[in-house]
Amino acid sequence: MGLGSNSVHLSQFFRQLFFVPLLLLPCLAFAHAVEESQLHQHGIDTAQQLQNPGIGLDERLGGKIPLDISFRDETGRRVRLGDLLTGPTIILPVYYSCTNICNFLQQGLAKALPAVQREPGREYRVLSVSFDETETPQLAARYKRTYLKAMNAPFPEDGWLFLTGDAAAIRQLTAAAGYRFQRQGRDFVHPVASFVVTRDGMIVRYLYGMTFLPKDLTMALLEARDGKVGVTIRKVVGYCFSFDPTGKTYVFNILRVSATTVILSAGGFLAFLLLTGRKKRQRPSGGA
Amino acid sequence: MSPAAESQPVSSSFWNDTGRTGIFSWIFSTDHKRIGLLYLYTALTFFLIAVVLGVLMRIELMAPGRTIMGAQTYNALFTVHGVMMLFLFIIPGFPGAFGNLVMPIQIGAQDVAFPRLNLFSWWLYIIGAAIIITSLFTGGGPPDTGWTFYVPFSARTGTNVSLAVFGVFIVGFSSILTGLNFVTTIHRLRADGMTWGRLPLFVWSLYATAWVQILATPILGITLVLVIAERLLGTGLFDPARGGDPLMYQHLFWIYSHPAVYIMILPGMGVISDIIPVFSRKPIFGYKMIAFSSLAIAAAGSLVWGHHMFTSGMSDMAILVFSFLTFVVAIPSAIKVFNWVSTLYRGSISLEAPMLFALSFLLLFSIGGLTGLILGAAATDIHVHDTQFVVGHFHYVIFGGGVFAFFAGMHYWLPKFYGRRYAEKPAIVAWVLLFVGFNITYFTMMVLGMKGMPRRYYDYLPEFTALNLASTVGSWIMVSGLLLMLANLFHGLLRGTPVGNNPWEGATLEWSIPSPPPTENFVVEPVVTHGPYDFKGAGIP
Repeated sequence: MGLGSNSVHLSQFFRQLFFVPLLLLPCLAFAHAVEESQLHQHGIDTAQQLQNPGIGLDERLGGKIPLDISFRDETGRRVRLGDLLTGPTIILPVYYSCTNICNFLQQGLAKALPAVQREPGREYRVLSVSFDETETPQLAARYKRTYLKAMNAPFPEDGWLFLTGDAAAIRQLTAAAGYRFQRQGRDFVHPVASFVVTRDGMIVRYLYGMTFLPKDLTMALLEARDGKVGVTIRKVVGYCFSFDPTGKTYVFNILRVSATTVILSAGGFLAFLLLTGRKKRQRPSGGA
Repeated sequence: MSPAAESQPVSSSFWNDTGRTGIFSWIFSTDHKRIGLLYLYTALTFFLIAVVLGVLMRIELMAPGRTIMGAQTYNALFTVHGVMMLFLFIIPGFPGAFGNLVMPIQIGAQDVAFPRLNLFSWWLYIIGAAIIITSLFTGGGPPDTGWTFYVPFSARTGTNVSLAVFGVFIVGFSSILTGLNFVTTIHRLRADGMTWGRLPLFVWSLYATAWVQILATPILGITLVLVIAERLLGTGLFDPARGGDPLMYQHLFWIYSHPAVYIMILPGMGVISDIIPVFSRKPIFGYKMIAFSSLAIAAAGSLVWGHHMFTSGMSDMAILVFSFLTFVVAIPSAIKVFNWVSTLYRGSISLEAPMLFALSFLLLFSIGGLTGLILGAAATDIHVHDTQFVVGHFHYVIFGGGVFAFFAGMHYWLPKFYGRRYAEKPAIVAWVLLFVGFNITYFTMMVLGMKGMPRRYYDYLPEFTALNLASTVGSWIMVSGLLLMLANLFHGLLRGTPVGNNPWEGATLEWSIPSPPPTENFVVEPVVTHGPYDFKGAGIP
């Protein structure tokens, strides 16, 4: 039986084992070259990602937001930011008259907040801050009513404040958070993100996107309570965009053509196999 | 040494193949049995590495907060665990190892239709694997995207995604070529009298798998090329800021990757269909339906990819259709399960190691399949999407199903190729440990998911601690069973008691030739006169 001589072969096996890396060397070298070029290209890619450098988000985890600036709440009362931070606080940079993402962002939060197992107002607070300096407390109050109602659950008035302010205060806050936006006509181009700060204004976490998991929020609030800086959960920053499928027709055409090619060649292959049938053999024991 | 093996001249065993010596007689061999063993060894190596990564992840999740690693390391671990288990172990492993070892013999052929292409497939697999492994240690470090490489993150992350994706692309070619080879072999090289109705069900399952490999893998290939183009050339195909569509990536990826799940599980079902009749001493119940359901699973399974994307943004109509088609796939799967159970009914069941693995496959795969319906129904999917429930479900299907069938196959067929067998008692103890550990590990994950613990986080809320600890302890039990199983298998195969031609008294062709088989498999070309499970026809009492 063959196994008796296996141990003899084994030593040879190990002696020749060192040939394997040799054989693999060319592909490793190629692989490395590919990766090198990818790194360089990737640098350019990141720079091009958003043509406008005035828009974007640079995480300032561990940095502090200014506490001495003041805003107006939805009743028109002037409030100092530091006084509002009585515990972990979620800050949403938005503009109330936004017809697009800002609404979804706040709606997403309104949906998730009732499931957060912390007491709003006492254990945490939410601040929507308008970065449009022309917006008024009246407008803010209207949106506050909308979102508190949308929650379908009792939520204390002082648990979520809707702030407006002057351009200087807005810039100070957004700059401290690394949040860059730009006015375009009546609208703004801006990242879709919010952040969580501790009682003394330290940024502990950024939350991306417009849907919130209660678990993420609770985790962020727990960390803010303990003053722990968390890592970002979802790293991809979303932007307002519109997708036009007609503009990508050529892509779909490429896909269509390649799919047809694959199907036709596989079908042809099957037809060939079915037509030719089993290979005739020569007896005795002909080659396969 | 068994009398039957003694009657063959010693040089006839494929282990004593003349020609090249040492490692070259393996890595340049075109013998399907040697290539099969190459696949087996390499796939098991990647499996063991991925097991270590999995255990490390479980240790991290033993307690909330940072236990042994940070978030980035954890992200890399679950990515590499997934890539290795799927692309380097189970997808190439099943057709590559058992398909190569057993299929040509089962149809009465000397080898596969294209032996050199077969060797080339293994080489592509090894080159792809080497590139994937290189990606872990070079550039920006191991990829951290998850095995799905979802854009936009995979297009932007600084980690070594391009290289890893390129490796998977190469492994994909290996898969396509193996599929082509097997389809051609099954059509062209069947022995005289081996009609389609006499093909062992393992061959049928490989045939269905091979078509999935041929049709679906090119889509993965082109998708991965697009990701590389996105990263290197900035084509913007998936980038909404440049008019692209990130959802298109998910569609393309799942058009391959859902059928790929059937590449992983179909051969397993074939193994089970071969083992159950032998250990029940009864012909299989519903041969035609089992054979047909393999094709039905392959066909219907190609139309259900959208159920991975219920929460990604699709029209309600599309969700409805994908949800319906998902339920349709359950039908052929259930046909198989019912037929296996009917085969067991009034059978003379002997509970040896291959059968124990096959029976646990039945239970675990059924749990995996039924929890799959929870995910396939849009309403319930939205509740448990991206939670630990999905992780639990997937492991029930792929590990409880595919890998348990793989282990069953190792216990069933490896004695044929080594001519010796393992010790039965340790094999049973190992099975108990694996089965118990498996259920503790993954059932708790499903409960955790129901309670809202998301997947792919290194940290969790304090209320999930107890169950996570249980799951981690379960993983230790499972790994101890795994180590015992492998030690017993390999000790037994090298030093154990010799076996004769037909230790299990099976009726398929591989049991009619010596163990280990001669290089040409059949000294005299076989003429098949009976079905694969016709024990009386094969002259077995």
